[in-house]
Amino acid sequence: MAQLLIGIAAVCGVSTFLAVILVIADSTIANYGEVTVIINKDTQLKAQGGRPLLSTLMEQKVFIPSACGGRGSCGLCKVKIESDVGDYLPTELSWITEADMKENIHLSCQLKVKKDIAIRIPEELFNVKEYVTEVVSLVDLTYDIKQVTLRLTEPQEIQFTAGQYIQFQVPEYELTSEPVYRAYSMASQPSRKNEVELEIRLVPNGICTTFVFNHLKVGDTVRFNGPYGEFHLRDTNRDILFIAGGSGMAPIKSILHNMVEKNNTRKTTYFFGARAVRDLFLVKEMREIEKRLPNFTFIPALSNPLPEDNWKGETGLITDVLDRHLKRGDNLEAYLCGSPGMIDASVKVLTKKGISEELIFYDKFA
Amino acid sequence: METFKVKRVFFEDLGLNNPVFAQILGICSTLAVTNVLKNTVVMCVGLIFTTALSNLTVSMMREYIPARIRMMVETLIIAAYVIIVDIMLKAYLPDVSRQLGPYIGLIITNCIIMGRAEAFALSNPPFLSFLDGIASGFGYSYVLIIIAVVRELMGSGSIWGIRVLGDWWTNWSIMVMAPGAFFVLAIFIWVVKGMRTEEEKGEKK
Amino acid sequence: MSGISFYVVFFAAIFTNNILLTNYLGMCSFLAVSKEVKTASGLGMAVIFVMAITSVLNWLAYYYILLPLNLTYLRFIVFIIIIAAFVQLLEMIIERVSERLYASLGIFLPLITVNCAILGASLFLVIRKYTFVSSFFYGLGSGIGWALAILAMAGIREKMKKSRVPKGLAGAGMALIIAGIMALAFMGFSGMLNIT
Repeated sequence: MAQLLIGIAAVCGVSTFLAVILVIADSTIANYGEVTVIINKDTQLKAQGGRPLLSTLMEQKVFIPSACGGRGSCGLCKVKIESDVGDYLPTELSWITEADMKENIHLSCQLKVKKDIAIRIPEELFNVKEYVTEVVSLVDLTYDIKQVTLRLTEPQEIQFTAGQYIQFQVPEYELTSEPVYRAYSMASQPSRKNEVELEIRLVPNGICTTFVFNHLKVGDTVRFNGPYGEFHLRDTNRDILFIAGGSGMAPIKSILHNMVEKNNTRKTTYFFGARAVRDLFLVKEMREIEKRLPNFTFIPALSNPLPEDNWKGETGLITDVLDRHLKRGDNLEAYLCGSPGMIDASVKVLTKKGISEELIFYDKFA
Repeated sequence: METFKVKRVFFEDLGLNNPVFAQILGICSTLAVTNVLKNTVVMCVGLIFTTALSNLTVSMMREYIPARIRMMVETLIIAAYVIIVDIMLKAYLPDVSRQLGPYIGLIITNCIIMGRAEAFALSNPPFLSFLDGIASGFGYSYVLIIIAVVRELMGSGSIWGIRVLGDWWTNWSIMVMAPGAFFVLAIFIWVVKGMRTEEEKGEKK
Repeated sequence: MSGISFYVVFFAAIFTNNILLTNYLGMCSFLAVSKEVKTASGLGMAVIFVMAITSVLNWLAYYYILLPLNLTYLRFIVFIIIIAAFVQLLEMIIERVSERLYASLGIFLPLITVNCAILGASLFLVIRKYTFVSSFFYGLGSGIGWALAILAMAGIREKMKKSRVPKGLAGAGMALIIAGIMALAFMGFSGMLNIT
């Protein structure tokens, strides 16, 4: 009996001793005290040091885009650092390009703030806020795309440019033990400031989409932060070309409704690529827009129409359809939204037709 | 639902998703003890015992373990069971214990146990976790036993200490030593991967 | 106490009783991290450091705490707690003191806590009854031996990237065969020194 007690006492003794050492070390060696973060040379924030830049900023309500929530697996949280922060960590190197290195751009989820630091972020990021919302409707647009409409409760209004995206927070549930964020473009236009509409496509085993399709109900609370993104209509006189399929329609729809409100008369063509009739949705809404914008044409193109579809419209891969309709010398700017594969292929066709890469804009995370 | 889960847990761990091949986990001990079949079997029993019980314990305690010290608690639980195994071995099979040396203790660092605790026991009920522990242990064991049979047979001409191959067989000493283990495991993985791709090809059709 | 002199222990630990190629310890990280020389060298350095110091710490804990109190059966728990605590402490120190060092080996430290080689080295030195000084050199030598093995493996694998390998062997299988051949090569050292 005594032996047992001595044994337990010894182990506890050693553990406690080590724990004490670690606690002292944590509060001295690992304690970086209070640090000052200077943003864009004029804003100063005071924060607790020793933590990644991303979380330090988030706590101060400055939201840097991130799809993976700080794990170093999305590469979206790049921030330009204007002070000396040492070498790149191996975990950053898989996302940091040579161009980034010249500008001293780091991955803010990996960079720990150990001393005062100065950073530069785009002004729009200051406009990014966290929103608390309530689900008001869930509509199935197709067998795998849901339209989610959220009403803003706190704050009640959102200001953004048509085409931007938000980061949807998925709370802990069966597929994830901590909140994760996924980016979705807003399908509603800016004038609907009290609501945000999203188009979400089911990805098999996707953490966010499984949550939305299997667990989300009307009346639930949803958090997101935003707005983010450089995808918006440029103010020029060129003709507009939209290419987007599936849930990629979201930002395009937002831009189109905005154009209707502003009475934008630029010649616009929207190529919607899908496989078969069952992948088409909101066609009626697009036809309505055609009536309100005389220079807008909606062209759905199916790559694999089923015989029962009785499809009389454009057929073939979106790249073939583009090839047929576009002529060299068209004075166009193009806006694409879809999967990386579709975008790469379409960009090839566009450049072949003489459209310069600078006039092709896209959002690649679909 | 429950029986389906149980079956799935069992067969996944035993089948081609076996942690040893699929993720190359826990090979430290694989290579060290498989030169003698008897030692291997003892090691395997020890491992099954430890994995099953530590899975059970971690699962029973899963609601109460604070996140920050999670890994330490798991390690302590595993270490406790390994100590029990070590003491029992010293008492009942002292020869084997001496031959196995530090490798019994190294069950603690065997990635398989920690891996199952983290991946399964933390988010599943106790009974299922216990079964998962047994299944993982078995999955690991049959690999070791096959390798051990090959190594002992070719290296000493015997199985379980009983001379099986006659005098005509020259012992392949290399099988009893380090390189032999590496080669046999590599060939095993080759064969299994071959079987896996065949299965995948079959499924695709 | 074992009467073997410490420089014999040192050289034996690197060559004839290489903790990885002869005792098979530390394989998981060995196979996982040996794809590039750069990362392998970072991990190797971390292992050398941790192994040397924890060998000493564990020797002290064994002979001054466990043995006098008749608690040697608790060595598994005590050793691993000491290793885990030391690694955490080391991580904090390195992060504070040197950005460069942290960038090259800091991220490997958590990986090392579960590396069987570290615990294995401590267990071996207790079984073989080394003296204090021998233990330090055993730890240091084992670390160097392990690092040597992983560097050699990384170098070979970098070259193998350009060779054709049978599909079933790609990746782990090939690494094991290379390890086997390396083990064969190191067996050539045996007979030079004997420390068991």
